Amino acid sequence: MSIFSTLEISGSALAAERQRAEVVAANMANAETTHTAAGGPYRRKEVVFSSSGNMPFRMMLANFRTLGFHPIPAVRVARIVDDPTPNVMRYEPDHPDANKDGYVAYPAINPIQEMVDLMSAVRTYQLNASAVTASKQMIQQALDILK
Amino acid sequence: MNDISNPMVQMLEKFLTLASQRHTLITSNIANLDTPGYRTRDFDFRGELKRAISTDYPAMTPVAQAVPGLLERPDGNNVNMDRESMLLAETQLQFNIGVQLIRNHFQQIMTAINEGGKR
Repeated sequence: MSIFSTLEISGSALAAERQRAEVVAANMANAETTHTAAGGPYRRKEVVFSSSGNMPFRMMLANFRTLGFHPIPAVRVARIVDDPTPNVMRYEPDHPDANKDGYVAYPAINPIQEMVDLMSAVRTYQLNASAVTASKQMIQQALDILK
Repeated sequence: MNDISNPMVQMLEKFLTLASQRHTLITSNIANLDTPGYRTRDFDFRGELKRAISTDYPAMTPVAQAVPGLLERPDGNNVNMDRESMLLAETQLQFNIGVQLIRNHFQQIMTAINEGGKR
């Protein structure tokens, strides 16, 4: 557990939050996409974060024996899942993707929800960036003992 | 034991080690701000410092425990952003104090060395 590992931990969070912001951007960009390569309308995506310290007991014990301390959990994007919310059906008989009743399936994307998610990601990114600044300052201070 | 590495420097070294270990835990809590099911982890700084300076051995890694009494979100995460950012600043300042005290101590020795040669 060295002070340099804090940079890795904060860095993992920066990467994860950036990916979350990217997914939100993709959701907003595809809010009106009715046609995808997989067929059907675009499905809203969500990221699932997981703490990398959630390891099985055996691995934890092995780590403890080799390193002599508990690993401090960083964060990672475990997977990106599709939102199961059903599609929104709109009556547009002239649309090329309309079904036989004249309804078009649009992805269920709420711009407010996406904006809130984006803001949350940005704020968390900023907080982690402050943590990086703090760690850097502490490392610099430790080096200054030599001066 | 001599004048250059006296008990105060050893004590400050333990203080700095503990401060940086706590800093690591806080950054980890901040990194897991949005991880479902994650519990805030911390250790009792005062208690660990007392324990560390009561022995002659180098500082042991304290055991981090889940912090009780924090409000839990529906996803099982109980990281409080305000608590963590406040502790981040606090630990950073604690670390700075330790570094300044060590520097001050070594500067005193340097002064003693330099001034001794002057007439």
